[in-house]
Amino acid sequence: MRILLVEDTLDVGEAICRKFQQTGHSVDWEVDGNAASEILNFTEYDLVILDVMLPGIDGFTILKRLRQAKVGVPVLVLTARSEIDDRVGALDLGADDYLVKPFDFRELEARARVLLRRRSGGDPTNLIVCGDISLNRASRSVMVGKREVQLKRREITLLEILASRPGRVFSKEELLDQLFGFEEAAGANAIELYIGRLRKKIDGAKAQIITFRGAGYQMITGDGA
Amino acid sequence: MAPKRSIFFRLVLHVGIVLAFGAATLMTAAYFYARTAADEAYDRLLLGAAFQMSDGLVVLDGEFRFTLPPSAFELLGLARNDRIFYRVVSSDGATLTGYDNLEPANDLSSSRQAPVFGNLVYLDVPIRTVTVARAVSVAKGADWAYIVVGQTTDAREELAAELTVRAMFLVATMSVLALGGTVLAVRYALRPIDQLGLALRRRDPLDLTPLEVAAPRELSPFVTSINYFINRLDERMKLLQRYVADSAHQIRTPLTALTAQVSLINEANLTPEDRRHLDRVRNRTAELSSVTNQLLSHAMIIHRFDSTQLVPTSLNDAARKAFRAAIPITLDPDMVVSFEPADDDPVLLGDMLSLREAIVNVIDNALRHGALARLEVRVMNFGETGRVEVIDDGPGIPEADWEKVTRRFYSSDSKSGGVNGLGFAIAAEVATVLGGQLGFRIQTENQPFCVFIDVPLIKERS
Repeated sequence: MRILLVEDTLDVGEAICRKFQQTGHSVDWEVDGNAASEILNFTEYDLVILDVMLPGIDGFTILKRLRQAKVGVPVLVLTARSEIDDRVGALDLGADDYLVKPFDFRELEARARVLLRRRSGGDPTNLIVCGDISLNRASRSVMVGKREVQLKRREITLLEILASRPGRVFSKEELLDQLFGFEEAAGANAIELYIGRLRKKIDGAKAQIITFRGAGYQMITGDGA
Repeated sequence: MAPKRSIFFRLVLHVGIVLAFGAATLMTAAYFYARTAADEAYDRLLLGAAFQMSDGLVVLDGEFRFTLPPSAFELLGLARNDRIFYRVVSSDGATLTGYDNLEPANDLSSSRQAPVFGNLVYLDVPIRTVTVARAVSVAKGADWAYIVVGQTTDAREELAAELTVRAMFLVATMSVLALGGTVLAVRYALRPIDQLGLALRRRDPLDLTPLEVAAPRELSPFVTSINYFINRLDERMKLLQRYVADSAHQIRTPLTALTAQVSLINEANLTPEDRRHLDRVRNRTAELSSVTNQLLSHAMIIHRFDSTQLVPTSLNDAARKAFRAAIPITLDPDMVVSFEPADDDPVLLGDMLSLREAIVNVIDNALRHGALARLEVRVMNFGETGRVEVIDDGPGIPEADWEKVTRRFYSSDSKSGGVNGLGFAIAAEVATVLGGQLGFRIQTENQPFCVFIDVPLIKERS
């Protein structure tokens, strides 16, 4: 994936570059606002990581121009300003996410991954409902009753598979394929782990995940239907 | 300093006193004029009657003969209720006819030059008398006869009273009109002060633009000095704002660089000893970041309440935003976190950012020091108050420390190095400013530890 980093603090820029390069992304690093804005005019990126305070024009202006030109590239804004208004401003201007400096680098990587994934995997907008559990595929949010529960990416995928066809029994192998694809090597234990976590997180719902020993897993709506 | 009586009241009171004094003087004068006028009018009648009577006096054969002319009585009869007395006296003092005990106060001969008026109490009634002299020729030569006519004073008193009452009515009417005019004039003159007061009252206390009110010359020093102070305050606030913003940037940039560089250190090449040191550096850096964020957020919140107006704010929204901001993506996957909004969205008069920051700090604290495997954020609507609960399955905070942890820079957790924060202090301060409070609920067998923020809600939702 191709990432544009716009950051004028060398120590920070260097670290971000290195981190993303280590995970196999190609990173273009700009320190000047004007130069960054120009590059964005003729180069396509999968993600832009944008500092607000920059020499030349500031990050907000770059973001505004980008969105005015109807460029939909995901933008993650980094801000060091004190007023929290910045965060609101960034989201209002069309940023997809923001981080306030100083931030944890693992958090930056995780958020960037989310944005990159959103970019590559289409835009499902439908809602999956299974009993009192509902899953919004667009916002990747899960509601148990009226509680909003936070799930990890794979937990959501697992729930999506099970909940979209309640009553059907999925074997471990089937789930492994859908969850990890063929590239990643994961044991059958991994499925047990994820099922365990998912059960814990949807605890309290009428809908349940039922284990069939040796056969696999099934989701039931729990309301007698 | 006790407030003085209003300018309006003072002006009207003073003008009223002057008017009352003037009216009293005028009424006294009117009474005296009325007396004089009544006396003059009835004296003329009296004199006329006396002259007519004197015409009835003739000398016949050297003897006085007196015929009372009826017209004289007709004249005096104009004063209907008054009684009349008369006496005709010869020069030697003998009464020729009439009441012989009617003795005027004056010497009879003094009336030779001009008729003489006098007042007298006759038969226990006050009367007015006139004495006229008449020269007659008798056998001995020239002689004088005197005619004294008296009349009771009822009619003239009545006239004087009537004139006085009319004059008083006029004076009273004029005084009332003058007082009314004064009230209107004072009102009108004071209107700019009221307008200035209204402009000040209507002003948003957080509005720091100069006051723009058309004020008369007398008020312009006040407007000028108000504007001077507003301007100074505005400059101070801006300076403070810029200072906080600048220092935030100044601190955050090197801190981010520090974290960045620490994250680049390749652990594989380190000795176990060095790795231990690196871990400590990492922990301390994270702590420094967290404290810095809290300090700046605290400064921001103090500043916000000085300059931001409170608006109707949804507690559900604030809590949801806080929930999303406070839970990191890199959270331990075994941790169950959930958010439950209230069915009936509680709306309070507040500030979204400060409220969110307060809730973020409570959640952050729970993640850092409390939650082992479960964290719940829940919004509730109790009608009068709204509540955000942050529940975790951790050890909780001992009841003895509840009061202390809301103080700035207090930590019950000595393992973390003693310094930890402003989190609860920020939450408590925001809650207090919004008229609510930060509270704790002790954990029991079937109820985990809970930190909550209670805030009063807007009663009538539109």
